[in-house]
Amino acid sequence: MKKMNASIFTFFVIISTIILRSTAISSNDLLGVAPEDEMYYKGLWSSGTIKCKDGSRTFTKSQLNDDFCDCFDGTDEPGTAACPTGKFYCRNAGHSALTIFSSRINDGICDCCDGSDEYDGKTRCNNTCWEAGKVARDKLMEKIALYRDGVAIRKHEVEQAKVSAAKDEAELSNLKNEEKILKGIVQQLKEHKERIEEAVEKERIQKEKEEKQKKEAEESESKEHKDEEKNDAEEQEHVKNHNVEEQEPVENNDNEAAVLDDSSSRQNTKEDPAEVVQNAHASLDNGEKHDPKDEEVPEFVHESEPNTGVGSKGEDAPKDIDALSKEDLGREIGSRWTGKKTEQQNHDAKNDYDEENNEYDTETDEDQYYDHDTEAHRDDVIDDSSSSYNYDPDDDMDMLDTETESSPSWFEKIQKTVRNILQTVNPFQPPVDISEAENVRKEYDEANTKLSKLKSRISRLTKKLAHDFGPEKEFYSLYGQCFESKQNKYVYKVCPFKQATQEEGYSTTRLGKWEKFEESYNVMLFSNGDNCWNGPDRSLKVRLRCGVKVELADVDEPSRCEYAATLTTPALCLEGKLKELEDELEKQPQPHDEL
Amino acid sequence: MKSIVVLHHLLLFFFLLFSHVSSWKKEEFRNCNQTPFCKRARSRKPQHCNLIATDVTINDGDLVAKLITPNRFEQNPDQNSTDFQPNPLILSLSVYQDGILRFKIDEDPVYNPPKKRFQVPDVVVSEFESKKLWLQRYTKGVIDGESFFVYLFDGYEAVVRSDPFEVFVREQSSGKRVVSFNTHGLFDFEQLRVKKEGDEWEERFRTHTDSRPFGPQSISFDVSFYGADFVYGIPEHATSLVLKPTKGPGVEESEPYRLFNLDVFEYLHESPFGLYGSIPFMLSHGKSHGTSGFFWLNAAEMQIDVLGTGWDAESSIVLPSDQKRIDTLWMSEAGIVDAFFFIGPKPKDVVKQYASVTGTSAMPQLFATGYHQCRWNYRDEEDVKNVDSKFDEHDIPYDVLWLDIEHTDGKRYFTWDRALFPHPEEMQKDLFSRGRRMVTIVDPHIKRDDNYHIHKEASKNGYYVKDASGKDFDGWCWPGSSSYIDMVNPEIRSWWADKFAYSEYVGSTPSLYIWNDMNEPSVFNGPEVTMPRDALHYGKVEHRELHNAYGYYFHMATSEGLLKREGGKDRPFVLSRAFFPGTQRYGTVWTGDNIAEWEHLRVSVPMILTLGLTGITFSGADVGGFFGNPDTELLVRWYQVAAYLPFFRGHAHHDTKRREPWLFGERNTELMRDAIRVRYTYLPYFYTLFREANVTGVPVARPLWMEFPYVEATFNNDEAFMVGTGLLVQGVYAQRARDATVYLPSDHTWYDLRSGTAYKGGKTQKVEVTDADIPVFQRSGTIIPRKDRFRRSTVQMENDPYTLVIAVDGSGSAEGELYIDDGKSYEFKEGAYIHRRFIFSNGMLTSVNLAPSTSKFESDCTIERIILLGHTTKSKTARIEPSNQVTDIELGPLQIRSGVRSSVLTIRKPNVRVSDDWNIKLL
Repeated sequence: MKKMNASIFTFFVIISTIILRSTAISSNDLLGVAPEDEMYYKGLWSSGTIKCKDGSRTFTKSQLNDDFCDCFDGTDEPGTAACPTGKFYCRNAGHSALTIFSSRINDGICDCCDGSDEYDGKTRCNNTCWEAGKVARDKLMEKIALYRDGVAIRKHEVEQAKVSAAKDEAELSNLKNEEKILKGIVQQLKEHKERIEEAVEKERIQKEKEEKQKKEAEESESKEHKDEEKNDAEEQEHVKNHNVEEQEPVENNDNEAAVLDDSSSRQNTKEDPAEVVQNAHASLDNGEKHDPKDEEVPEFVHESEPNTGVGSKGEDAPKDIDALSKEDLGREIGSRWTGKKTEQQNHDAKNDYDEENNEYDTETDEDQYYDHDTEAHRDDVIDDSSSSYNYDPDDDMDMLDTETESSPSWFEKIQKTVRNILQTVNPFQPPVDISEAENVRKEYDEANTKLSKLKSRISRLTKKLAHDFGPEKEFYSLYGQCFESKQNKYVYKVCPFKQATQEEGYSTTRLGKWEKFEESYNVMLFSNGDNCWNGPDRSLKVRLRCGVKVELADVDEPSRCEYAATLTTPALCLEGKLKELEDELEKQPQPHDEL
Repeated sequence: MKSIVVLHHLLLFFFLLFSHVSSWKKEEFRNCNQTPFCKRARSRKPQHCNLIATDVTINDGDLVAKLITPNRFEQNPDQNSTDFQPNPLILSLSVYQDGILRFKIDEDPVYNPPKKRFQVPDVVVSEFESKKLWLQRYTKGVIDGESFFVYLFDGYEAVVRSDPFEVFVREQSSGKRVVSFNTHGLFDFEQLRVKKEGDEWEERFRTHTDSRPFGPQSISFDVSFYGADFVYGIPEHATSLVLKPTKGPGVEESEPYRLFNLDVFEYLHESPFGLYGSIPFMLSHGKSHGTSGFFWLNAAEMQIDVLGTGWDAESSIVLPSDQKRIDTLWMSEAGIVDAFFFIGPKPKDVVKQYASVTGTSAMPQLFATGYHQCRWNYRDEEDVKNVDSKFDEHDIPYDVLWLDIEHTDGKRYFTWDRALFPHPEEMQKDLFSRGRRMVTIVDPHIKRDDNYHIHKEASKNGYYVKDASGKDFDGWCWPGSSSYIDMVNPEIRSWWADKFAYSEYVGSTPSLYIWNDMNEPSVFNGPEVTMPRDALHYGKVEHRELHNAYGYYFHMATSEGLLKREGGKDRPFVLSRAFFPGTQRYGTVWTGDNIAEWEHLRVSVPMILTLGLTGITFSGADVGGFFGNPDTELLVRWYQVAAYLPFFRGHAHHDTKRREPWLFGERNTELMRDAIRVRYTYLPYFYTLFREANVTGVPVARPLWMEFPYVEATFNNDEAFMVGTGLLVQGVYAQRARDATVYLPSDHTWYDLRSGTAYKGGKTQKVEVTDADIPVFQRSGTIIPRKDRFRRSTVQMENDPYTLVIAVDGSGSAEGELYIDDGKSYEFKEGAYIHRRFIFSNGMLTSVNLAPSTSKFESDCTIERIILLGHTTKSKTARIEPSNQVTDIELGPLQIRSGVRSSVLTIRKPNVRVSDDWNIKLL
């Protein structure tokens, strides 16, 4: 009986050994192999040889982890450092599994928390997986909580965005209709006005002829003078009402092109003659960063140490270094290595100028509406924290727009008035009723002003809607907002879809204009900022992260004039990602594993 | 030939005109015409010198003579004052072992010259004097007049001809000359005088005035090299390996090669203009004689003309016409004649002879031979951490992370900007936990700030260089107003060295090493961006007398500091920009502020080869180019070329875009990783070569002609170079190159290491080039050790096994060496190292011990793979003795790298220990 038992036992052992041999492979054999790859290696036990994963050759079981590289891709050495491209899998029980480069195996540094990468006995690694795993799990849970909140907010925002976008689109098409009608009215009024004016002119010429003979000599001179004065007065009128466009070229029947033309013509008209030169200079400066006026004055400011100072000057301005004092000469020569800082100074000066005269912003039509008093906002900024605010692109909209949105009454009114005028005033029956003519002109001006406002509103809306707000318009709410972060002496400000700046005191440096999203909506790119001497135009990459609030952080300049920052936003809290995180948590060892 | 030279200058002219007019400020530097001694010397005609050697005697083992101006000659037209009667000069000539002739010419103290002329101390190694051959006698004879002969070396003699005075070396049997001095009578020695009424000694350059209180004191002379096809050496110039003629028929408007250490902003890649360092050592090489050398130990400004054939057509000097000859003119502002002739006759003989005078290069630590990552500037601790972790993330090995000037507190060296680097020790320890070192910069200009401890001590102790009036010299550099430590004084050097003690340099740890920049010295508001020549050093020596050696003494003091802090146990690593003969004993140099252009990549190769020829083998150029942004292809190529050059460091100006290897997309990351890994693969070979350089002075990277001195086609090749005797590296210096033209020297088979393809030598081969690598060939008859595993840094590679690559020659044999030590200490000097010679012949590889049998150094490293190139065998196995094991032979890869497919005979897993004697026989 005993003997029998023993032999049964022996038999059992043999059988199970055979079974183990053929099916289960001990973990030592498959050192460094990820569980999902174990199948691949089974062939070694069944047929004796298998192919390297890249198909380059075959290898035998004895070549598996024999510390000699047979496969280019490291298939035969998952557990040793023999192959340069190999990967080692550590199980890290209690924490997440990890795949490391085979260059880390037995290199004296503990890379896996379970220490499985250091098995040659030369280095002792403590198993830190449970502690590390707990920290990681806690973090993961925090992250999941954040994502859960974020996903909810995002959902809400996406819905909001749909509503807002639909509203904006509806408004746009509404405005376009109104524009069409208003255009017709303006055209009618214009024709009417012209006819009246023609008639008036005829009458005037008639009258003039009569009076001419009498006063010709002395009158002509004083009259010219008066005309000039009148022109000047008109010019000033333009400047004051910078939203008003007097000479609306109604002949332009195409809204988009007309609007663009308008904006440029308006810029021209709105400029005070006295400031034209300076303004032209400023815009020139925009293109080429050399301000010859400032270049003549050498600036001695060192980048990191303003008080020691290293000289600088315009690169191309020839300078007689022999004329410098010893100290200035030292600064001047040193500045060749450190780079010239006058450009920065020039530009700051220019920006100051721009801010003081912010109606002279030479940017696009839209930018004008973004202008705001940065000082006022800065007061709200809490030290070293990020903050945000709206710049409302509609701030400057006057009553017209509220009317537009609230009721169509003005529209009916104007249509009615026009009808009346057209009926009552007949320019073909002289003498022309002067008050009626005035009336027509007034109505025409009014309608024209309204038309131009309508156009700029259309233009802004068109531009807004032309932006890419993400596949679900999840970034819609960021439009018209700015986010700030204060770091040391600088305030960084990021306005999505518009621009990014760095402010120091009163000087502003533009880090970039809105360019686009990159890396499938994970990065916002602002490019073509202010130019750096001897370097590129400034640019900023804003990496987006999931967060319940929109906050700007980690502004950095990894390469000269190439900035980086992160912005948290619910828009990045994707449901799929949340699911991934939850799955990851699911896979994490549960507390009972500890036992 | 003439038209080529003209074309060359025309091109140079257009280049100057259009491409770099705004960067290199030519007018801010003196040319020869603005330098009175140079202008005068250059305008002299042959046979100007009328000295004769008299009173020849043997004294203390030297041959001594007086050089006098005989009365029969007219007054020297060069001397202004009519009543001037030159005093006799003293010539003393000594002979040293291995074919070295040294001769000095100085004023005779008997005549009480106003001042002792400066002789450069601490350059000639102390052992050199022990190699002196004590002269007992001379023989007298007649060669174009009375001459005195002394034995120099087997088959060579030194000759002093009396009238006209001349010194030369010739082969005894044939009488063929090797190298000569004053053959053209251009020797001139301006003796110091007492200033007289009406003497105008001041010199002005731009706004700077040099008071020149001792008046003119320059020296010039001609040196001729016989049997010479080309001359080489005299760094540092950004120019071709071969020194082109600067004067003579067909050469117009050219400057001499200038040796004056200067901080040159955006230097040109093709110019005789002097850069950061100076080594007045020239080598000549030709098919008929071989190699010879001339070295002038002098630290004042020097100008050297290479005279084109026919420059002396109008003189009546008759020289043997059967010997090709290159004449040169040497001019220096001050000092004495302390000159050395090296007879060669092989290239390696000359560099060894030079090394016996100035020393061989220091044995670097193993880590220093790896890859270095630098930038002006890694901003703060976070930046450092981030860059470091990116190397790991991309599995790219590197050994050292560097911090430039911005890491300091206001450019006060030995301090830290605590806002950016609050925890320097922790930062260094963290890096070192992964085997990585750190290097910080320490420059010689000291901020004049009374709260700065270095300044306080230096000013209190009078350790600064003085201006002409005797006050501490005050110049402008990075920190603003600065003074400069007077490193010529050994006491001050010792004080400086103490500043590197861990207790003094707060925040430093044993894994921190040093970088010396701006040590020309650079003085932003000084004449030519350096120190005024009338500034005064220790011993009342004027700066003009030692200018070129200032940076050398600074480098020396810093190196001594690192040695001291570890009680002499840890080999220092100090990188210096300025250099002088002897620098090789103290550390490494790099070629300064180069530019991210293909031409600068190209010129970096001859610049580094020239440094190697003149003693400084551990040198390199900033990978990628310091100024400007390299396009990606250039950057990748730069890594691929620089991986084979001795000092391998990426560096960039702060205005450039970041360019760490992982920033240019996956493919380019892979290419740069491969380039860096290739370097790490060959580290055992490099380290063995560094050891050879340490013992013999033969450089790691060599011009082809050093290995193939009889192959004329190699003489002016500076696009390719040899690493040791075994590897030929062909650089790629053009955009979108699809192929490369490679000259493979004769009588060898060359194995393309990309494919294993064998090429017959003796002709120019056109080989395919891809973006993956540059063409590199292993020469038949060599065995090269590698380590084919990659780690984070050299530290983790210590125990990894070796691969041997055997390329057999026509007779089926090959040889190679492997040197291993602890990689950091000086125990190798006590014999603690492994040195093996591998010999393969008749199908058997044998490992022979070259180290002392008492060696205490041990290694468990084995050889995991032996690759056989050019060997045909049908055997499938090999037997290892004495263990009597049998191992497999199979087809395997030549390199284990993605995309490289090659099948070469491989002995699999012999697993013999490198420290043991064994042999492996193919069965």
